[in-house]
Amino acid sequence: MKASHEVLIVDDNPADVTLTREALAGSAHMSQISNVQDGVEALAFLYRLGNYTQAPRPDLVILDLNLPKRGGLSVLAAMKAAPELRRIPVVIFSTSQLSQDIARSYELGANCYVSKPGNLKDFFSTMKSIEQFWFGSATLPPRGEQIKP
Amino acid sequence: MSSSAVKLGIENTAGPKPKLRALLVEDNALDAELVLRELRKKSFDVSAVIVQDEAGFAEALRTHLPEVVLADYNLPNWKGMEVLNALRRQNLDIPMILVSGALGDVTAVECIKQGVTDYVLKDSLARLPEVVRRALQEKYERSLRQQAEKDLAKKVDELARSNADLEQFAYIASHDLQEPLRMVAAYTQLLSERYRGKLDENADKFIGYASEGALRMQVLIQDLLAFSRVGRASASYTSVDCNAVVEEVRKTLGPAIQESGAVMSHADLPTVWADRTQMTQVFQNLTGNAIKFRGEKPLIVSIKAEKGGEDWLFSVTDNGIGISPEFAENIFVVFQRLHTRTEYPGNGIGLAICKKIIERSGGRIWVESQAGSGSTFKFTLPLLEPAVKEAMRP
Repeated sequence: MKASHEVLIVDDNPADVTLTREALAGSAHMSQISNVQDGVEALAFLYRLGNYTQAPRPDLVILDLNLPKRGGLSVLAAMKAAPELRRIPVVIFSTSQLSQDIARSYELGANCYVSKPGNLKDFFSTMKSIEQFWFGSATLPPRGEQIKP
Repeated sequence: MSSSAVKLGIENTAGPKPKLRALLVEDNALDAELVLRELRKKSFDVSAVIVQDEAGFAEALRTHLPEVVLADYNLPNWKGMEVLNALRRQNLDIPMILVSGALGDVTAVECIKQGVTDYVLKDSLARLPEVVRRALQEKYERSLRQQAEKDLAKKVDELARSNADLEQFAYIASHDLQEPLRMVAAYTQLLSERYRGKLDENADKFIGYASEGALRMQVLIQDLLAFSRVGRASASYTSVDCNAVVEEVRKTLGPAIQESGAVMSHADLPTVWADRTQMTQVFQNLTGNAIKFRGEKPLIVSIKAEKGGEDWLFSVTDNGIGISPEFAENIFVVFQRLHTRTEYPGNGIGLAICKKIIERSGGRIWVESQAGSGSTFKFTLPLLEPAVKEAMRP
């Protein structure tokens, strides 16, 4: 049996998180989905702080840009500046189509930028193709032990 | 004296004469006296300062604030024309009249060319009051015109700003509307997929309507965004070969052209100064409309351009269903449609975008058509790029 994959969705919109769960439900990659709703919690989760001491280390982070407390770009910058987090692939998943958001994301080391599709079919197929690419086609970095801060 | 007698006298001698602050540049005291006497005789209540050189002139400009400068052409210590330069250096728009003993016609014309308001010879000083009056009148009219121009420029500025605000508003509103709408669309679709046939017939229908409505609103918002983007995004103007653009459009619309059996032809088209993407959009929207609104006859679309004055005049002609002249203006307004969505799909954004693009490129667009007998969409574009035009100005 194939190993499951850990996905962290950083998104404050539960409707989007539910859609993502729906999209990936029953797929062969058996993604385990965790969700945090703001940028501060995202970093706590990744560093296993506070309520998240038992948090799994994600194989993939799906990161919205427009987040409460600490924005997506700031979370991205913090992750890519941290030796123990920077190898985790980050997919920016946002409704913003502003070219400066897209450029800034890549500058900060995002692994790719995907616009949230407006209708259900596209949303599902986009989500599935993200999963298929990272857990099917791509080879992920070795898991190893997470370095403590 | 009766009041009517006073009134009668106003024209010339009696009554208050208008005040006039004059600055005389004159080395001959007698001449200065004659000039002032002439002005005071019937016309003005003159307060005058008489100077002879540059230093005195500069001082008097500051302290006396003259409304008119009367200068001798030949001065021992200063040249009459230098007076003009001194006024210019200080950016003062004060009429300057040369009052000279002898001034050849050639010299006089040369002085006026350089900016002297007028000249009066000392042996015909009787003309002087009229000349001064006219100079003051002209200056008054000039200042009115300048004020009007300034007001107009301010209005244009305000209009541009409120336009920009409005575009910004349309952009932000439509962008922010998308977010909640995305949820409505996604979840009504999910409902209709997951629960079709599991509720009752009405439920399926209701969910269907909600879902269609949300999808249509998404398209509307996308269109609105596209429309507002024409104003916001800085178009990159360059030389655009319209032949290449039309060929590209022919390729893009290939399937639609084939399906409709349309024959599309174009004459040799010019190269224009425009944004390439936008020009593609214009030709694509116009050709696409011709295909959409075709009639029973096999569709023929022909595109041509001819030179007319300072512009290229393009025309896109079809033999489709045409438009009643009463709607000829309406169709360029955003979201204006002439047909139901069942007859012809669409949101009424295409021609609005065309109009915005053409007008921003310095042209105009209109339609010539009769219902039932085809349409010709015409638009103009400037012959030359603005920079070239500027450089060619004499």
